[in-house]
Formats: sequence, C-alpha cells, structure tokens
Amino acid sequence: MIAEYLFFILIFPGLLFTAVLGLIVGWVDRKVSARFQFRVGPPFFQNFNDFFKLLGKETIIVKDSIHYMFITAPLIAFGMLVIVSVMVGTALFYNQGFGGDIIVIMYLLMVYSVMVIFGGASSGNVYSSIGAGREIKLLLGDELVFILITLVPIIQSGYQLQLTEILQFQFMNGAVIASLSGFIAFVLGLIAIQAKMTLPPFHIPEAETELVEGPLMEYSGGLLAFWKLNHFMMYVVFPLLLILLFLGGFHLQGLGILWAVLKYLLIVVLIIIIKNTNPRVRIDSALNFFWKYATPLAFVAVILAVLGV
Amino acid sequence: MADNLYLLIILVPFFIALVNLILPVNIRKILTFLALLYGLYLSYQLYVVQPATENFYFEPVFAADQLSIFTLIFIQILSVIILIFSLKGLEKQIERAFFVLYPMTVAFCNGVVISENMIVFLAFWGMSGITLYLFALLGRTADTPQTAKKTFIIVGGSDAFLLMGFVLMGFIHAGNEWSLSAIHISLNSGWAIVAFIFVLMAAFAKAGGFPMHTWVPQFSKDAPVESAAFLPASLDKLLGIYLLARMVTTLFSIDLLVNMIIVTLGALTVITAVMMAMIQHNGRKLLGYHAVSQVGYMIMGVGSGSVLAFAGGLFHMINHTIYKSNLFLTLGSVEKKTQSNNLDDLGGLGRVMPITFIMALIGALSISGIPPFNGFFSKWMIYQGLLQKTAELTAGYQIWMLVCLILAIFGSALTLASFMKFIHAVFLGQLPENLKTVKETVFNHWLATGLLSLLCIVFGIFAVQIPLRLFIAPIVAEQGWAVLGFPGLYKPLLIVLLFLVIFLIGWLVFMLTRNIRYDDVYLGGMSPSEKFRVLGTEFYNEVRSMQPFKALYDAAEKRFFDVYELGKNLTFALSGLLQKLHPGQLQLYLLYILIGTLIFIWVI
Repeated sequence: MIAEYLFFILIFPGLLFTAVLGLIVGWVDRKVSARFQFRVGPPFFQNFNDFFKLLGKETIIVKDSIHYMFITAPLIAFGMLVIVSVMVGTALFYNQGFGGDIIVIMYLLMVYSVMVIFGGASSGNVYSSIGAGREIKLLLGDELVFILITLVPIIQSGYQLQLTEILQFQFMNGAVIASLSGFIAFVLGLIAIQAKMTLPPFHIPEAETELVEGPLMEYSGGLLAFWKLNHFMMYVVFPLLLILLFLGGFHLQGLGILWAVLKYLLIVVLIIIIKNTNPRVRIDSALNFFWKYATPLAFVAVILAVLGV
Repeated sequence: MADNLYLLIILVPFFIALVNLILPVNIRKILTFLALLYGLYLSYQLYVVQPATENFYFEPVFAADQLSIFTLIFIQILSVIILIFSLKGLEKQIERAFFVLYPMTVAFCNGVVISENMIVFLAFWGMSGITLYLFALLGRTADTPQTAKKTFIIVGGSDAFLLMGFVLMGFIHAGNEWSLSAIHISLNSGWAIVAFIFVLMAAFAKAGGFPMHTWVPQFSKDAPVESAAFLPASLDKLLGIYLLARMVTTLFSIDLLVNMIIVTLGALTVITAVMMAMIQHNGRKLLGYHAVSQVGYMIMGVGSGSVLAFAGGLFHMINHTIYKSNLFLTLGSVEKKTQSNNLDDLGGLGRVMPITFIMALIGALSISGIPPFNGFFSKWMIYQGLLQKTAELTAGYQIWMLVCLILAIFGSALTLASFMKFIHAVFLGQLPENLKTVKETVFNHWLATGLLSLLCIVFGIFAVQIPLRLFIAPIVAEQGWAVLGFPGLYKPLLIVLLFLVIFLIGWLVFMLTRNIRYDDVYLGGMSPSEKFRVLGTEFYNEVRSMQPFKALYDAAEKRFFDVYELGKNLTFALSGLLQKLHPGQLQLYLLYILIGTLIFIWVI
C-alpha cells in the first residue's frame, strides 16, 4: 500500500514522470515557438541543462522580505502540482481514484495562483505586487469559465464527481467532446487553461516588457528553477485533465498508445499555436472577454448538457 | 442531579454577570473565565448524559436533542477562546461593561438552544438581541449610535416577526401547543406560509442572510473587535442557523419549491456579499461582508433538502465560527498594534508580526476553501449534496439549481480573491515607514488565534474522524436519515502526507544546492520609496469600474439595496403622509369626524 502510493507520487504518474515529460514538452514548445519566429530553437536537453544550471546559481533574497514565505511558495506550488498530476494520472493510467475528485482538483489548482501571489508579494517589490494583483484578477476571469466547463462532463455522466466514474461513462457512451455541449466546453476549456498557465495572450501577470516577470521578478537560482519547473509541469497536468474530462482518456494497448500520444500532442500543439499567434491583452479586456463572452457561452454549454445535447 | 444541568448552564453565567456588576475588573475576568470553563464542562455532561425534558407545571420548558447539544458545545468553545483573547488588550473604557455583557450573552444564547417552550425561546432570543445592541453601543467610532440603532431595529424588528410567526404556528397546529418539538406544520395554507416567512426572517436577520444582512458589516466596523468576533461571527451564526435547521427538520415540512427558494436566497447571499467585500477599504467591514457571504453556504446546505448538504451546512456553520472569529481576532491584534483597521494604511506586517500573519493566513485559506483546511471539507459536502439533489430533478429545476451551485463555487473564488487582497494589504507588500517599529502581539492574543487555527487544521484533516463522527452523524441519525456517504472522493490525510513528502524533496534539493545572498529590492535602478507603495485595495478597481458592476456598486453604495434604508424611507413617507393629514385646520378635523361617523353608522 505505502510502496504503491510512494511509487505513484515519486515516479509514475507523479514527480519524475511529470517533471521529465514537462521539461520535454517545454522543449517542444520552445522549438515550435522558435520555428514560428524563423529561429532554429534550442537542442533537446536545453531545459534540463537550464534547470540544473539554475540550481547551482546564487539565490538572492531581498533583505526585508518575508523569507519563509518567499522560499516556501515555489515549493508548495511544486508539491501541489505533483499531487494534482497524481490524481489525474492514476485515473487515466490505472483507472483508480486517488485522494480527490474533480471538486478537489478545482480547488487545489487555485493554490498555484495563491502561491504565485504570496511568493511575489512577500518580496516587497512593487512590480511583484502589481503582478500579484493581476494574477488574482486573471484567476477570477478564468475560474468562472473553468467551473462551468467542468460541470459539462459532470452533468453528462449523471452527476458523477469521481474522475474514474467520468472516464467510465466515456468508455461506455463515447467521449464528451462528441456532443455539442462537450465541444463548446472543450474549446472554452482550452482558452481557460491558457489563462491558468499564464501563457500568451494571458501572460498579463508576468508581462516581461512592463512588469519584468512580475511576481517572479525577485526570484533567482534554485527557487527560480522550481518556478520554471512548475511552469513546465503545467504542460502535463492541464492537457491530461482536458483529455480526462473531454477526450475519453486513454486505451493503452496497441494503436491506443498512438492515439494517446496524438490526443496529448493535439492539445499541446493547440496551446502552442494560440500562444504564438496572439499578443498580450490588457487585464480589463481579459476580464471582459471571460465574463461577458466566454461565460455566457459556457453557460449555454451547461444548459445543452442538461438537455442532453 | 442530572436534570439541573439545564438550569445551571443558564444560571451560572447569568449569575456571574450580575455579580460582575460590582466587582473589580480583574476579578470579573477570572470569574467569567471560570464560569465559561464550567459551562464547557456542563455542556460536555449534557452531551454524555442527555437528560430528559425539564417540565415546569407539566409544561415542557427545557429539552436537548443532538442539534441543541451540538450548538451548545460550540457556543461554549467559541466563547472560551474569544474570552482568552479579550483578557488583555481590551480598551480601558469599555472593559467594565464588557465583562458584564459577555457572560450574560452566553447565558441567553445557551437559553435559546435548550428551550423547548416557544415563549421561553422567544424570551431568550430577544434578550440575546438586546445584548447585541449593548455590545454595539460599546464602540468608539463616530458612527456607533447609527450602527447600534440599525442593528437593534433589524434584529429586534425581526424578533417581532418571530413572535407573530410563533403565534400563528401555535394556532395552526391543532390544540394549544407551545412546545417546539411537538409542532409540525405543512405549508399548505396561506397562514402557514406567512408563519414560515416570519420565522425565516428572524433566522436570516440573526445569522445575516440576504436581504436581512445589512447590520453585520456595520456592526463589524463600529463595535469592539472582540464583540464582532463574538456575536456576528460566531454566536449569532450558531443561533440563526440553529433556528433554520429546526425549521427545515421539525417545525415545518417543506416541499421542493420552498427548498429551491431557500437555496436561491443562499446563493444570492454568497454572491452579493462577496462582491461588496471585494471593494471594501476597511478591514473589519471586509470581514463583516464575508461573515454574511459564508452564511449563504450554510443556508444553501441546510435548506436544500439533501441530507449530505444539510450535514455540510451544519459543519460549515461551526467551521465558519472558527475561521471567521480567527480572522476578526488577528485583525484585532493588528489594529491594537497599529491603531488602524484601514487597509490603505497597512502593509508588510508579515515581517514584524509573523505569528499573527500565519494565523490570519490559515483563517484566510480556510474561508476560501483551500484544501486541506476545514472550510473546504464542508463546502465539498454541500456541493456534493446539491449535485445529488440536482440529479433527482427535472431539467428546468436542474438548471435553476446549477445556477445556484455555480454562483456558490464562483463565490469561493471571489472569496479567495478578496482575501488575497486582505492578506496583501495587511501583511504582504511594502511596510510603511511609520509601522517599522511595530512588535508582535501579546501572548493571550496568539494563544486564542492559535487555538482557532489549530481547530481549522484538525477539523480539515480529520473531518470525518472528529467533527462528523462526534457531532454531525448523531444529528443525522436522530432525524432518522440514512448514514452519510460521499459520492465524491477526498482523503485529506493522504493528500497532506504525500504533499509533505514532495515538499521535503523540493526543500532538500533547494537546501543542498543553496547559495544564498541577501540584497536590497531591485526596482530597475530606482530606490524604493513610499511613493511606489502598492496597496492591495487597488486590486479590483478594474472590476469596480466595469459595467454592469459599476452601476450595481454605485447603487449599493447609495444603499439602494439596504432593507433598513428602504424600510426607513417607507416609514418616513408614511409618516409624512400622516403629517400632511394634520395641518391644524379645524374644518378639516370636523370633516374627518363626519367621515368617521358615517363609516361607523354604515358598518353598524
């Protein structure tokens, strides 16, 4: 029992799997983005090199910051992401519930934003504080859409909350995305996770050109390495969550493995394309977009799901 | 003698309150503390013994079922902890009155929950409202008289409705029955519905449910902070939701439509109050609005008609009392050290008050429903209950229920946002020059907040093992409902333990490779100054100035949605009309007499 849990959490689908796959997908992201800009892009091991190099660098801590908060924030975010990836991963790969259902995941994912805010604002830097304010506003924007789109698979599966039950429903009745409500929800979900990962066009909190990485501005060395790793791990957690909720999970035998890889790559590539073709929007336009356009549409998807369409 | 427990638990604190009138302050403190500890012991005795109904001239007066004992125990626990906070650091001018009112309030609240007779219930309910008014009068701000008046009119006025509701219920029920547990009314006649609405108004006014909530934020702002943590945040919540739980279980049998209306009112409470909380600049008012918004979850849970949500609502009630009094008390510590509760004047205090910061952080994460703290567990239960209920409904009702549910879940994201602002404005960000010399607060303050924070964590991680098994499951069993089962999956202990493993690995990696240098903040070459300070209060200016919220906020700031203001305007309009009828002209009065006589003759 304990050995099994430790395997889940440390190796697969937890720490090691998420970190390594995240860094590899991070390379895909960098390579494709470079191609968009007519550059060559980094070699395969670049992200691993970056991570270990950052670990060896000096960590500068602001003298009158709240040290314990500043240091623990990236580590707490890291632990939380691993837990979520284990919850999603055990359901996908082992068809087994682990520690939490979809509501738990919804609330745990908020912790990431909380930690970005605490880590940034504890340094006492004004740019970080402005970025922290934007981070929480962005969360308000995407959270409403995220709640609505997660309700669609819940409703379609007959109000099941456990990840395994939602998967089971899709094995029986086909993927959620095949219905109209599921399709709308999937598209909106893709946009919502773009904001949750603070990727362009929603990299408003970090906004290199005006806020100089915002909440992450004072981070350096090992702590920055963890923030970067967290960022790449989200490339694993969110696509897998979308696959679980909308694309019917994986059948890991024969051609199923190819399908699994294709599903995952489809979502990652879509994320990268959106990222590379959009400029940053202002925070108030982002809120406007999420609350006045995306939310009503997501609500339509919920109504359609209730009606069984 | 077991049957004396009822009388003792009311009379001991009441007697101490009377004795305290003439004693020196320090002895008042000791006596109050001892009385409350004894009350805690007595409530434990009640929990173990569960004595029979106490009769007086063959009329049942006091009785205790699982629900009352549960409420009673938490009244004692909360009052002991908040008293620990109040022992030192209270303002000198109000100290004498405070320690008279405090045990008296506890006595009345105890009286409410163990009353079996309607009239006794009403008497204690009304008296607890009066002590609330007296606490409001202890405030030292310029708005205190206004606030006290408003509190008294809303809470006292709803007592009048409660009286009328009880009278109606007594008559609707066959026979002259005044015993609460014997009455059971189904909502099939007009008068039954009127009685239901009247009693519901009283419960909402006490607990702070929409639209009777408007006294809570003002009371929180103007009354002493200890009493804000004591009454609107804890005891009044317990009483209001206790009455609501009684209504939906024994007093009335309600149907689906009524359930839906109560749930809708709950969702409206959540969302309106939290939207108002987001834009506040006064820390206490912000917390006051959250004290309202959290009631929405309890109302939704208790009123939804689902067993799981009912249990979750009750669990949320005690969780709320714990974390909200924690937040009020930590803000109180900050306020006593910095002489300000205005969020614009504070900032960066996490550096100088680390213990208070950690306690406030635990409270803030609990109220926002972040796992593994207690607020999450009860919200999780409520959501599951509501979803279970939704699955049984027809499509139209499903959408109605889902809208309420979405508002509730989004409400907790808004709560998180609002508390990020609070934490940022008070504890994070830049420390103003004039607060550089602030020191950590006194021992009894962080003992009290520490106990509350500990409860937040324990009730979150061991929710099933401790609060649900000891208190909530017996209540559900007593109602004859099925045993609680969760359709979802949440194992807080497992999550915490595995999280700690990962956190330690990350920590080790960081510590083994660490190479730390301490340096000044980097601002692109500029030197940090007061001019560049970022106040957390500016976070939501975009939301404030965005249509349609701007119009709503503007209307709300003109108190357009305030029941009290509306009622006041209506009263003044009516009395203005009456004034116009009395111009002092003799001819007109003669005309009135003539008309009156004619009507009289016609009637006869």
